[in-house]
Amino acid sequence: MTESTLVAPSQRRAAPAPRRGRLWGKLRDRRISGWLFLLPLLLFNLVVVLVPSGFSIWYSFTDWTGISGKANFIGFGNYASLVRDPEFVQGLVHNILWTLFFLIVPMVMGLFGAYALSRITRFRLLLRTLYFIPYIVASVVNSSIWRSILDPQNGLGDLLGINPLGDPDLALWTVEFVNNWAWWGFLVVVFFAAMQGVDRSLYEAATVDGAGAVRQFFSVTLPSIGPTFAFLGLMTIIWSFLAFDYVFILTQGGPAGSTDLLSTVAYRDAFTNLQGGYASAVGVVMALISGVVVTGYLIIRKVRKWET
Amino acid sequence: MAGITRRRFLGAGGALGLTAALAACGSTAPGGADDVLTIWNNLDNAQQNDYFRTHFAEAYRGRYPVRFTAKSGGTIDRLIQTALAAGSGPSIIVTPGPSSFVSAYYSAGYLADLGPYEREYGWADVFAPWALAASRVGGKLVTLPTSYESMVLYTNPATVDRIGRPVPSTREEFEDFCTEAKGKGYVPVAAGNADYKGANEWFVGVALNHGAGPEAVYSALTGETKWTDPVFVEAIDRLASYFKKGWFGGDVGMYFTNSFPAIYQQLASGKAAAMISGTWEFANLTPYFGAAAGNDATWQWSTVPSLGEGVPKVVWDLAVGQSAGVNTNFRDTDAAAGYLNFLTTDRKTIVEGVERMNFEPAPIRLGAGDFSQRADPRIVDLYSRLSAAKSVGYTTWTFFPQRTETYLINYFENVITGRLSAREYCEGIASRFDTERAEGRVPTAPKPGGEL
Repeated sequence: MTESTLVAPSQRRAAPAPRRGRLWGKLRDRRISGWLFLLPLLLFNLVVVLVPSGFSIWYSFTDWTGISGKANFIGFGNYASLVRDPEFVQGLVHNILWTLFFLIVPMVMGLFGAYALSRITRFRLLLRTLYFIPYIVASVVNSSIWRSILDPQNGLGDLLGINPLGDPDLALWTVEFVNNWAWWGFLVVVFFAAMQGVDRSLYEAATVDGAGAVRQFFSVTLPSIGPTFAFLGLMTIIWSFLAFDYVFILTQGGPAGSTDLLSTVAYRDAFTNLQGGYASAVGVVMALISGVVVTGYLIIRKVRKWET
Repeated sequence: MAGITRRRFLGAGGALGLTAALAACGSTAPGGADDVLTIWNNLDNAQQNDYFRTHFAEAYRGRYPVRFTAKSGGTIDRLIQTALAAGSGPSIIVTPGPSSFVSAYYSAGYLADLGPYEREYGWADVFAPWALAASRVGGKLVTLPTSYESMVLYTNPATVDRIGRPVPSTREEFEDFCTEAKGKGYVPVAAGNADYKGANEWFVGVALNHGAGPEAVYSALTGETKWTDPVFVEAIDRLASYFKKGWFGGDVGMYFTNSFPAIYQQLASGKAAAMISGTWEFANLTPYFGAAAGNDATWQWSTVPSLGEGVPKVVWDLAVGQSAGVNTNFRDTDAAAGYLNFLTTDRKTIVEGVERMNFEPAPIRLGAGDFSQRADPRIVDLYSRLSAAKSVGYTTWTFFPQRTETYLINYFENVITGRLSAREYCEGIASRFDTERAEGRVPTAPKPGGEL
């Protein structure tokens, strides 16, 4: 029995709030306390992301070498050169191809895998783990494994009579394939989590209406996970423009520049050609592309009134 | 340690920005502490690292103890660049050779002028004149060559016997050798760039020096001849035709995917007839031949064949494999220069390093008499002949300016895949070279006879 039960109902009233001043009252405001929790991370981000980003933007308007503090302002000179630079244009085209590939292949594979997973009950956890493993393995390990597998003398390349990493027409797709192998399992897990949140009564209603698995997927599952789908699409575009590790480890941008992306072009300009200002301009273009995509996503989210 | 100036702050911020933008992380631990001399180096293996630490760092008895940190070959330059921009970095700055980074580092104020120490230590009498000349920027000595090398033709004598052709020394012999080897199912010249794209310039350098000839290359380096001259176009075109015939690496595609261990294995197992590479391979070949590999295979080296009309039969491609200078961020330049002198001129330590670890020596005057009985006669032979070389060629990583060198490396792949003609490739070289020459970034080259 608690003390409150001993008190007559007429005598019950809310206990007065302890007097801790206006500041405490403000701190109890969820919005302010939220900001307070965010503050350390925000400061950290300011120092390690925003400040260097600001420098990168500034340097993109200079002839900075990348190693010296000396930098002369040259206006839009670097950006004007980018348009005429065949390596930049080639890298941009490859980035667009890369993005299209990752917007289609792993997304379809991820959706299919997640939907299949959601339809079974046994070994679900095991399969999720198996899909996820390549994603958590370091890219250098994944790349080394696939380089051995694709080896034209002792591996799959020998068996199939091809040299996928040595053929300029195949190299980009091969690197994408290897990267996708590590990536699509992650999408399976995320899509699967989103599918778990779909209202089961919708499936029951669809079943009653005679809808099969395929129809249910297109009419119930896909519309219900729309926000997740759009978010992952957005992230795929951003990540695609940041892709670097698999290309650098597997082909270093070759053969004959056939796997060069904007990131490898920027890396070469910055650290080999010592054109830090120019490399910064490439980086800013990459950031701008991502910025446009994020803005587009935010607009769609607002129009569609997505909560997540 | 010097305080942070606005210039350094901006440089550091920019470097941080670049690093963040490129997602290229690396340690930039301060290396310029006042009470210790620091050096970062990239050696071939752990054994070499240990040896260097013991004999080239800890054994030094100078004003400060020397601390050596091993870095990987793929990242050391980036780490040093980033550290320097942040106002830090090791006391001794190493670069892949005078072509790469030296001019830029000096322009940025990171390399101390070694002129006063040149007189103090008498380096002009110790080093090969060409190597010292190539180490100057705008007439000032800013680095010392810590290792030198040349390009050679490696063969496995047993395989050569099976092919039934002599080790080639002329273009005709080389083409016969490759045709015969290919016909018999061998890879004529083991080659590949899967591990290191820079391997492309080894072959471009061979085409220029042994195909066009050192006279022509020298003329172009001094600005008298254009790189678009037919002699260069023909030399590059001929080399590209060798690649397209599958003489280098098996075929063009294989060249892009062959790793170095695979190449060494091909030579040792008799699958490949020859290999064209640098003298740095002495250290790399050892584990694949003889007792260390559990076989009875051996390797031999000879000079790269002459591949052009009127080109001397023997041309020694000169190369500084590594340069080292003193970081201006280290307060005691005198002490650092003293260590640099030990690192590059202590004959006993250097010769022992060559004999025990296959290190490449600094380009000091070495003769057969400098080596002991335990030295590999192939190595003694090489350095004796190289020291006395009269007909010299010019490696791209020693005598070509940096952006031209990068172009040479990257676009050569376009030539052998048929995406670029030899003429277009040479035009690309010429346009970059002209710009860098106008900026004074071309290292000083000796005359083809070896004299300055």
